[in-house]
Amino acid sequence: MHVLPLRFLIGAAAACAAATGAYAQGAASCPNPIPIALTTPLTSGVALLGIQAKLGVEHAIGEINAAGGVGGKTFKLSIEDATGSGPNALNSMNRLMEGKPVVLFSSMISPHIFTQNDAIKNGETPVLVAGTNAQLMKQGNPWLIRMHVHDGQLADAVPRYIVETLKKSKPAILVVADDYGLGASKGLQAAFDKLGVKPVAVESYGLNDKDMTAQLTKIKTSGADIILLWGRPGDVAIVLKQRKALGIELPVIGNPSTVAATTVANLTPEESDGAYGIGGMLPQVGTNQKALAFAKDVLERTKVPPDNFGVGYRDAMYMVKDVIEKVGCDRAKIRDSLRALKDWQGLMISYSADKEGELAHTMGIYRNKGKVTEQIGVIKAGSN
Amino acid sequence: MFQLLLNGLAMGAIYALIALGLLQIFNAVRIVNFAQGQLLMVGAYMGLAGSAHFQMPMWMTYGVTFAAMAILGLVFMLVAYYPLRGKPFYLVILTTIAVGIVLENLVLIIFGPLPQSVPSPFGSAHWNVGELVVSKHVVFIFATTAALLLVQWWFLMHTRFGRMVQATSQDMEMARLVGVRVHRTVAVAFMLGAMLAGAGGLLVAPLFLADPAMGSALGLKAFVVSVIGGFGNLYGAVIAGLLLGLIEALVAGYISSNFRDAFAFVLLVAFLFVRPQGMFGEKQSERV
Repeated sequence: MHVLPLRFLIGAAAACAAATGAYAQGAASCPNPIPIALTTPLTSGVALLGIQAKLGVEHAIGEINAAGGVGGKTFKLSIEDATGSGPNALNSMNRLMEGKPVVLFSSMISPHIFTQNDAIKNGETPVLVAGTNAQLMKQGNPWLIRMHVHDGQLADAVPRYIVETLKKSKPAILVVADDYGLGASKGLQAAFDKLGVKPVAVESYGLNDKDMTAQLTKIKTSGADIILLWGRPGDVAIVLKQRKALGIELPVIGNPSTVAATTVANLTPEESDGAYGIGGMLPQVGTNQKALAFAKDVLERTKVPPDNFGVGYRDAMYMVKDVIEKVGCDRAKIRDSLRALKDWQGLMISYSADKEGELAHTMGIYRNKGKVTEQIGVIKAGSN
Repeated sequence: MFQLLLNGLAMGAIYALIALGLLQIFNAVRIVNFAQGQLLMVGAYMGLAGSAHFQMPMWMTYGVTFAAMAILGLVFMLVAYYPLRGKPFYLVILTTIAVGIVLENLVLIIFGPLPQSVPSPFGSAHWNVGELVVSKHVVFIFATTAALLLVQWWFLMHTRFGRMVQATSQDMEMARLVGVRVHRTVAVAFMLGAMLAGAGGLLVAPLFLADPAMGSALGLKAFVVSVIGGFGNLYGAVIAGLLLGLIEALVAGYISSNFRDAFAFVLLVAFLFVRPQGMFGEKQSERV
């Protein structure tokens, strides 16, 4: 029989005790349960996005608490519906701040986060967001941290991919006419300009519009060789349907909505086929077994397929758990640790904080083959 | 150009179809139902439940949806109109808005926030006429709108019940004195209005997907169409609907898609200022 040396056993026991002690020490400053808060739209036209934050954070907290929490203390999540309006988003954040959460999650709707900015500063609580407006982190708010890639990164990557990889030179841009789409449209046009390419059409549609055939007809006659589409899963599905109905065979590339499971589920194989998407990572796609298990589990529990935002919020909650294990529940220490994160491995990508509080810098490139979405590459922000 | 015009007319037919449901209720009680868009949304979800969840054949899905919408119309009348009858009209209007929000949130809770596709009886079949692509489902919408307009006109002008609806609309007390069963007439008007909304939901969902927020924008456009056509005027609503669809398509095609929605509401404001009775409405003096 192989016998372990006594010295090794003592050393291992000491290491375990030290580690447990360190965790216990981290969590010692925490109340039990540890209050975490989330404000995100759960009603209104943007609820299909907001729900992703809820299912991502809830899934992570469920797993963490089932595994014993942090130093024996569990997380307790309070949720407020931000609805589709800025004032409601602000009110919901103010109500949540009254509960003194150690960390707060806000949504992926950038106008909401701009509205909440002062409340976040005054609340002195770390707030993790996924709003994709490139300007969001340039407000100099030290309490704000973003865990999702933003439009500035995408606006650089997508035109380069179109021109350099797909070899297209006559793009037509079609975006949803809100902060998200119009902001992206400006960035995309600027990026094309740097590449010496001028879009042959720049069109938009209202957030609640159902008929995009006029814009598509205009694009059809503009001589475009590719459509660059930027919207939400609901309206992107309608655009892809109407593109096919009008007999437009141009390839489509866009943000992850073009390849999201919620979009593809509403399309026929012909409508979905050939669409590209670049952006945050999709858990249903690829061979990452942990990501596939996450996607399957969330879908079974909630009947909603998680998307890039769902993964981002899931990862962010695990980040918070790791940071609290190290520094406890002092809000300033949590903020500083999150803003100093280096090579933290999430479900699908590695996160590193830059000086503005951006954590995500990796994007996936996807393509629909019929109704099946394939990952065909990865882009690091700033490189193609 | 022709494709643009065809697309505009198709959208216009949808606006007209929704406006017909709005006018069915307006012509009975002189109240604008601001939940008409949400009733349409419920119709779309009934179609989804029947065809996708319960796997019913299409004819049965349509039949069940019409029956369920008739019941919903009755409940709607009992909740939003009946308790407030005789009270200032704006209270009823506010209640219809509130009921619309409740309907939207109920559907959100039951079906979730994700948009879902509802099958068309024609699938994605279409005709190619030269460069033009003509969807069979869109032709179905044109035909249905025309048929419903004719049926509604015939019902109002050539049936005893239609005349009772008109009498109730003009003077409820006088109608009651001459033997019209006012409550029953109003109830049937609400049921028919909801059924028309259900028909709208079944027809537009295959084109636009069903989602809980789909009704608000379409309902507002139906209101714009009704104002432009002349509130209460059936053929005015259809012509105004087609016109608005065309104008929107041309604005998006030749000016800028950014102004498409704005243009519809500028048109509404312009009509309210210049010709509040609409294109085909008659000037009415206030009853004293």
